[in-house]
Amino acid sequence: MPDSARPLPGQVAVPRDIGFVDWFFDVGTWTDKGGILDSLWETVLLCSIVTIVAVIVSVPIAAALAHFGKAEVSTTWLVSISRAVPTFAIAALLVPWSLRRGWGFEPWPIFIALLLLALVPIYLNTYTAISQVPDGTVDAARALGHSETSILTKVEFALGASVVLSGIRVAAIQVVATEPIRAFLGGDGLGRYVRDGFGQNNDTLVIGGMILIGGLAALTGLIFVLLERIVLPPGVRRLARQQGDRTR
Amino acid sequence: MSGAALLGEARNPIIRWEWVYEEWDQIREALLEHLELTMLAMALGLVVSTILAAIALRFRWTMTPITATTSLIYTLPSVAMFALLAPVFGNLSRVTAVLPLAAYTLLILVTNIVAGFQSVPQSVRDAADGMGLSPARRVWSVELPLAMPFIMTGIRIATVSTVGLVTVAAIIGQGGLGRLIFNGLRRAFWTPMTVGALLSIILALMLDALILWIGLLLSPWQRRKKAAA
Repeated sequence: MPDSARPLPGQVAVPRDIGFVDWFFDVGTWTDKGGILDSLWETVLLCSIVTIVAVIVSVPIAAALAHFGKAEVSTTWLVSISRAVPTFAIAALLVPWSLRRGWGFEPWPIFIALLLLALVPIYLNTYTAISQVPDGTVDAARALGHSETSILTKVEFALGASVVLSGIRVAAIQVVATEPIRAFLGGDGLGRYVRDGFGQNNDTLVIGGMILIGGLAALTGLIFVLLERIVLPPGVRRLARQQGDRTR
Repeated sequence: MSGAALLGEARNPIIRWEWVYEEWDQIREALLEHLELTMLAMALGLVVSTILAAIALRFRWTMTPITATTSLIYTLPSVAMFALLAPVFGNLSRVTAVLPLAAYTLLILVTNIVAGFQSVPQSVRDAADGMGLSPARRVWSVELPLAMPFIMTGIRIATVSTVGLVTVAAIIGQGGLGRLIFNGLRRAFWTPMTVGALLSIILALMLDALILWIGLLLSPWQRRKKAAA
């Protein structure tokens, strides 16, 4: 996570009349200190950490609750709020708290808000994945002498792997798509190009920032498609196709 | 933003009630604008998704492309969407705010409308035909009421998430309560920010409850059952 003690961010400085092509395709725009690559790295770093933490928190809880079949009510409730986490309001409310503790604008407020956003889809998909494994299969595994932990990891998890993975994909895409508001909360990241573009009334920056943000979100989706190819054994992928995509 | 000054002002109280009292007009205006943007976006979203859902239900093969397109739109970053439209329609235009907000509702609304109509059993449809109802009449007075719980759930989720997203439209000078949040953040004067953020969350919860209630009124047989999630 970026160190909050680093020098305060400057604005992107670009001549007003610079053309989009001249700016965006200039090597210096990308590689200079504080250039696009630096912003990209900040964004990727924060989003990765958020997604990883969300997986570490959500998956075990959802898996355990689904295995023991204890959480029907809370799941229904979660479905209805899952699309509705007001990330911007939550992050804003956390800013004074973070400043007061001397932690600066970043990274805690935006980190916590994004984490809340990411937890929900991962939790829901893991829960669905585990609870849709047929009882017969689980009983068969039990009869073969699997322990409960072993049933969870080797049977239920293996069969639900693709659904769990698509939950992580949805979460990661939402995090990447929401992260740019960080630039409007006193931070940086890729959103700074849109912010400074608006601030300086410079469409070159706005459009460039838009392409960067949208491109990263699209790339995130692609990476997960590849990941599914690599991680999931062919049998599980075939099974997933039969089950139909249950991400939504 | 300058660092040292900000850290000093970080000690500003989270909320200063005199400000809330004095600036009440500004707060009310922001709240109304928030509500207006939400309703405009929802109205536009509902019209478009009703058409899309009708197409998807009538011509089954269009279902996959429609779902794929609306899913794709849903994953577009909101900051990028506003940034895309701002140069086209102008920074301060309401269209720039409403179009993306409406676009984000499509996935949820289309999915729920389609699921609602698909939940109507074939036997019910046959019974309606057998009683001599015209197709239009059957859709309107038999299928629509039965699909209503799903549709209302979709409207609820879409409304609540739109209320949250409207705040982001503050980056293009719209955004109702989001503007208060911005003002507060920019000046490290926390009162407007706290008021804006809390009110947007309260507004979302209240609309959620209101739509849930309307949904139960529209489908009384659901009252004893859990609403379709």
